[in-house]
Amino acid sequence: MLSESVFCLLTEDLLIRILDRVNSDRKSLRLVCKEFHRVESTTRKTIRILRIEFLLGLLQKYCNIESLDLSVCPRIDDGAVSVLLSHGSVNWTRRIKRLVLSRATGLGYVGLEMLIRACPLLEAVDVSHCCGYGDREASALSCAVRLKELNMDKCLGVTDIGLAKIAVGCSKLESLSLKWCLEISDLGIDLLSKKCLELKFLDVSYLKVTSESLRSIASLLKLEVFIMVGCYLVDDVGLRFLEKGCPLLKAIDVSRCNCVSPSGLLSVISGHEGLEQMDARYCLSELSAPLINGLKNLNHLNIIRINGVRVSDFILQIIGTNCKSLVELGLSKCIGVTNMGIMQVVSGCGNLKTLDLTCCRSITDVAISTIANSCPNLACLKLESCDMVTEVGLYQLGLSCLMLEELDLTDCSGVNDIALKYISRCSELVRLKLGLCTNISDIGLAHIACNCTKLTELDLYRCVRIGDDGLAALATGCNKLTMLNLSYCNRMTDTGLKCISNLGELSDLELRAIPNITSIGIKAVAINCKRLANLDLKHCEKINDSGFWALAFYAQNLLQVSGINFTQLLPLKQISNDSINVMLAKGVQVLTQHSYDDVQINMSYCNVSDHVLCLLMSNLKRLQDAKLVHLTNVTVQGLELALRSCCGRIKKVKLQSSLRFSISSEILETFNARGCKIRWD
Amino acid sequence: MNPTGSLCANNWARSSSLVPPGNGLQTNLSLDPSSFFGVGIETPFKEINQPSPTQCVIPGESKKDVKITDQETSKLQDWDPSAMLNNLSFLEEKIHQLQDVVHMIVNKKFQPFEQPRELVTQEQQLITADLTSIIVQLISTAGSLLPSVRNTVANTSPLIGQLSQLRGINLPFGTGTSSGIQPQNNCENKLFDHSIQNDVPNKCEMEQNHNMEEHEHKDEEDMEEGENLPPGSYEILQLEKEEILAPHTHFCTICGKGFKRDANLRMHMRGHGDEYKTPAALAKPHKETGSEPKLIKRYSCPYGGCKRNKDHKKFQPLKTILCVKNHYKRTHCDKSYTCSRCHTKKFSVIADLKTHEKHCGKDKWLCSCGTTFSRKDKLFGHIALFQGHTPAIPLEENKGLAEPPDRCDAKENSTMVGSMNFCFGSNPSSENGIDNMMDVKGNIDDPINYFSSLNFEGCNFGAFNEFSQPPFEDSDSSFSFLMSGSFNYAPKSGGESCSDNL
Repeated sequence: MLSESVFCLLTEDLLIRILDRVNSDRKSLRLVCKEFHRVESTTRKTIRILRIEFLLGLLQKYCNIESLDLSVCPRIDDGAVSVLLSHGSVNWTRRIKRLVLSRATGLGYVGLEMLIRACPLLEAVDVSHCCGYGDREASALSCAVRLKELNMDKCLGVTDIGLAKIAVGCSKLESLSLKWCLEISDLGIDLLSKKCLELKFLDVSYLKVTSESLRSIASLLKLEVFIMVGCYLVDDVGLRFLEKGCPLLKAIDVSRCNCVSPSGLLSVISGHEGLEQMDARYCLSELSAPLINGLKNLNHLNIIRINGVRVSDFILQIIGTNCKSLVELGLSKCIGVTNMGIMQVVSGCGNLKTLDLTCCRSITDVAISTIANSCPNLACLKLESCDMVTEVGLYQLGLSCLMLEELDLTDCSGVNDIALKYISRCSELVRLKLGLCTNISDIGLAHIACNCTKLTELDLYRCVRIGDDGLAALATGCNKLTMLNLSYCNRMTDTGLKCISNLGELSDLELRAIPNITSIGIKAVAINCKRLANLDLKHCEKINDSGFWALAFYAQNLLQVSGINFTQLLPLKQISNDSINVMLAKGVQVLTQHSYDDVQINMSYCNVSDHVLCLLMSNLKRLQDAKLVHLTNVTVQGLELALRSCCGRIKKVKLQSSLRFSISSEILETFNARGCKIRWD
Repeated sequence: MNPTGSLCANNWARSSSLVPPGNGLQTNLSLDPSSFFGVGIETPFKEINQPSPTQCVIPGESKKDVKITDQETSKLQDWDPSAMLNNLSFLEEKIHQLQDVVHMIVNKKFQPFEQPRELVTQEQQLITADLTSIIVQLISTAGSLLPSVRNTVANTSPLIGQLSQLRGINLPFGTGTSSGIQPQNNCENKLFDHSIQNDVPNKCEMEQNHNMEEHEHKDEEDMEEGENLPPGSYEILQLEKEEILAPHTHFCTICGKGFKRDANLRMHMRGHGDEYKTPAALAKPHKETGSEPKLIKRYSCPYGGCKRNKDHKKFQPLKTILCVKNHYKRTHCDKSYTCSRCHTKKFSVIADLKTHEKHCGKDKWLCSCGTTFSRKDKLFGHIALFQGHTPAIPLEENKGLAEPPDRCDAKENSTMVGSMNFCFGSNPSSENGIDNMMDVKGNIDDPINYFSSLNFEGCNFGAFNEFSQPPFEDSDSSFSFLMSGSFNYAPKSGGESCSDNL
């Protein structure tokens, strides 16, 4: 009662400010406090729902929603949309400005058009990864005349016709991503550049466009960011068009454009001295002298990524002395990166925040020390496969780079416990990758656990010397961990797993091929890790039925879990029908009452029977991807029944090719009509 | 009309048969050897003894003509052919007129003496004056045999124009009074052989006719858009509507049965007697290996007010008879052939229909305004140009814009009109497209015409004729109709532009 009165005294704007500060626990706040609930319902702008059934209710509660995310909603289709629109007593669509329909493959052009037409203020739409989308859907999108932002990544069916529709209909477009819209050609891009003159961001990655498209794009006066990754038909001729065009260009990405040479890139650079970001990953074999000279003029360059290029000390020196404002430098897999080169580049670029030196194997501690001394603001350092880095270099890093948030030391055999001790001084670390560092042990991990309390991601893949003690330390220290990879850490036992179960935030846990963990450990995890969504138990041979029984038995705990990934869980042959059955028996109530995050299921090689399969398929309400091969105990009838039960929401299913002709064509047609992809194995 | 008719028949026959064979052959080869041989070379003399029932040729006339032109050509072989050709043609015409007049005088002499004496002397004076002008002309032509070819050509051109204007009073001359005329008789014997050849004009015409058919039908019309022949430098023929539209062009002289092809006629003739079964009679009439310089022939559309009609201010002549036929059908006839697929597009030339049907229904690129395009880039050009137009997506589910549904018929009607209006020329059978094609072709041909030193106009004409066989049967042409039909030699005024063009 007291708390209620306290918050009653606060004004609304204060409550809003409090809510803004509290990000992760908004839910608990609004659940326990009326005031917060009231404030939240009036101020909430975005909503991401898991089940369409709740949408109307939620929209009534939250009356100021501007952004609606239906991307994780499996059951969104034309019928659902028409029901939503017809029952909407409140005209909720009037306020919607952003629609996220990514992967909403069930939605056809009819529903899409209804939805778009109902939202007069719509400014941003995301239909990425709707692989079945074609010109009709594009035509529906073109009804949104105020559209400024459109993401059409991987709408495989969209052709020039569809793009023309959008270009004509949405002439105010400022941002457009056409990545992987493989049917689009020069003609479409040309028309786009003539109609959408407001474009600031354009992504044409992996399109089969030629230099002619760049001639058209060069006429876009407001274009700032142009991304053309993997446009293998574009050559220097095209880039020369950009030299004279796009006066405001700030970022260009020509990664993996095989026909682009340094001279083409140079022409872009010489035309745009204000360039801030340049990506040329894996498209050049080396930088020519004129290009290096051209780099001298780019004083505003923030980000440069030239992965895979042969570089020399001289080139790095040029970059270091001229690009003073460099924030990110990507030299991943570059040939010829030496200590001297790194020292020269970092001595000039003191503002570096991200440095990617993946696979620059000749880097040693000297370079690391210089980096540490020169770049105090460094936030991300990637040193994967830099074998010669040892504790000496990392000592300096721990001393100077206190802002470090991400460190990748995967496969650095020189990293040992002492090195970890030094690193642990970087108390801001959020992501740490120590995969394949076979020399680290529990002691080093304990150092990390003690000091890096903000860690959320930790990768200990194949760190074979890590044992239960280290995990115990980890569990006490890094209690914010959400992702933990312990695969192949074969010294680990149930004791360690029990410690891990204390990590309440854990959502992804990989325990692949750990021979010593048993059902007891799994039981502990099942009970305690309430947010667990993905669990990898492949090749954990000792987990038997009782483990899954436990998972099932502690269904009350699983109630709170937002989901579980069966991908690696079910292939285990030890799981009998019964255990799944029990899980489901418990789960049924759970799953039907609460949103359930499971998206994928892989039941290959499982001994499930018809009955269990049907139960499973019908009760996993959010299941979108199922692999149903090598199910020896399942009959065709059972499979058909199961497919029928889930055909309303499933998006991808893998079936045995021998069944291609025995499964009734009616089901397959239904699947096709709903945009579900069937893969035949 | 008979005398004139026979005269012109002679003209053509001679023009295609009388140039020294070697020369003609050479020229032809240099122009287009493959097509030339495709037609086949036969000796022209095979046909000499063929009777030519429709034509009556007066030996004296042709001998005279032959003499003069032959002399001229042998002298002027190295010459800019077209200029020389013009001059010679005019001389020839002039002599023809004189010849006519003299003929009349001769005829009158056998009649009872009725004419007053002074009339006869007047005629004589007239003839003498004409002869003098011919001689002057000849000398000036000979005088142009100087190294600077271009200049002389330019200089002589106005003269041609002038003469051609004189020529306009053709008939008064012909019907005028008689007077003795001698200058041509001295060569009679020498050139007898040639004159015999000239007795078979029909054969030659059929030959030509046949070759006309071999044109790819699309290529004819508007061929001379880029040709820019100076008015007056060519001869204008005009066929009557009935001739243009007649289904048959070759008629059996015995039973009157009509045929589209000469070859069919020859096959038919076998039934009329053994004399038609000889290899010589069955053989394809020889395509002359060359021709002496003569006026280029151009054709006028009989439809009054048409740009292709010779009375039009900006008259643009048609190049071949097939051009005339296709032009007349396309422009001035009902479009009676309807596409069996879309039931919308109509054509008056069946070949156009067939071309359309090949593409009908395929790749209909449709704009929201109803305009259709055969090509996607044309559609996109259209959309870029017009505010608010978008590509239309067909209503049915199947992708790829396969075939327009029936319910779109009405839409397509407007579509057709639209595409005409916007002039995108996307339709393969629309006139626009052909025009463009023609332009290009004409331009390609022009340099050959003007700059090849060996290029006599007649030879060039032959090369034009030797196109491959058309893939369809219906494009009949009717050269033989020229015989009976109205025949026009209507020199255009001026010559003001000819120097530029030459």
